[in-house]
Amino acid sequence: MYLYLYDSFLNSKKYSRFLAKTETRLTDLGIGGKIFRLSPLRNVNELLAEEVRNGARTIVVVGNDKTLTQIINLAAKFDVILGVIPAGPNNKLASILGVTDAETACDVLAARIIEKIDLGKVNNTYFLSNLTIDGGQLTIDCENQFRIIPQGQEQINICNFRPVFVSPAGQTNYFNPRDGLMEILIQPLKTNFWQMFKKPAALSSIIPFKKIAVRSKGSVPVITDGQKIMKTPVEIEIAPKKLKIIVGKNRMF
Amino acid sequence: MFKKEMGSDEIETIIGPSVQVEGNFVANGDVVVEGMVSGSLKTEKNLRVGEGAKIFANITAANALIAGEVQGNIKIKENLELTSTAKVFGDIKTKVLSVSAGASLSGKCNAGEEKKAKLEKIEDWEKTEKQKTKNILPVNGEKI
Repeated sequence: MYLYLYDSFLNSKKYSRFLAKTETRLTDLGIGGKIFRLSPLRNVNELLAEEVRNGARTIVVVGNDKTLTQIINLAAKFDVILGVIPAGPNNKLASILGVTDAETACDVLAARIIEKIDLGKVNNTYFLSNLTIDGGQLTIDCENQFRIIPQGQEQINICNFRPVFVSPAGQTNYFNPRDGLMEILIQPLKTNFWQMFKKPAALSSIIPFKKIAVRSKGSVPVITDGQKIMKTPVEIEIAPKKLKIIVGKNRMF
Repeated sequence: MFKKEMGSDEIETIIGPSVQVEGNFVANGDVVVEGMVSGSLKTEKNLRVGEGAKIFANITAANALIAGEVQGNIKIKENLELTSTAKVFGDIKTKVLSVSAGASLSGKCNAGEEKKAKLEKIEDWEKTEKQKTKNILPVNGEKI
């Protein structure tokens, strides 16, 4: 049984035609299901618990990256299959999963290619794509074996998926959410004029890991999937094959 | 040949110029060091030490190309290449060693196949044993 979770921004009139079209397409494909509209006043956790108890096995998020990252933790918790129908702006995660638009998404859901992918876990919170730490004097302890100390002003990304700013050329082995590893990507912040013209790959560090602890002198903000903000110290580890997700043929991993 | 093996598709860990690593660094894949490493550095595959890199560690790898500074012992299973900018302060043990003009090396160097060396030792030992038995033979020529 399919459960469709609509983000609250889809209540706007401008999306009514889009929703009607998508719902018709889903019904035509025979994968229609129960629809639930998210709102700040409703508890999604309780709803999902009840629906899973009633036999819902596939949850389809209709919305953007923000909607998807909100549901990731619950999907991992309830061990359900997750699908995505992109709507509105900011749908980078959906395109990584091989879902470029709503029409393609309906076909992808019907084809039902299910991949088990890794999730990142930071202090008991799951994240799908990446985690960003900007600046600050940081030390990263890797698996209690060695310590990484970035010198100077750096941007640190902990990546499960390939970051948008990293070109795939020559880096085929990295950023695969099915390899049981995440990557620490350390890039210097472009503080002066000449660094603008330097190739970022020449200065960056990429270190694969399974478990790390990030500490800093003061507290430094840690942003998961560009949404939730936490503060250092944090422990980050990989949760291998934690999420079952429906992906398209054109997925980027 | 060696440079082809170190193609970018196989690189798995890159320690950039702005990063310092302390402790026992162990990697399963290829490693490129452009920054600073102290402690020990071990990989089952290839290692490339960049020109600006500084390593204060004992190194173990399958193949290595060194262009930077290494202070520590180096143990390489197959090929070790020191470029003209390489500075090594420590002992080297490898199967095949190539050193470019201008490289500096300070320490013991052991290059070549270990098995052959062992065989030669065994042959020497056999020769000395034979000589000993000849010496034991009595003067009149009767065998014991």
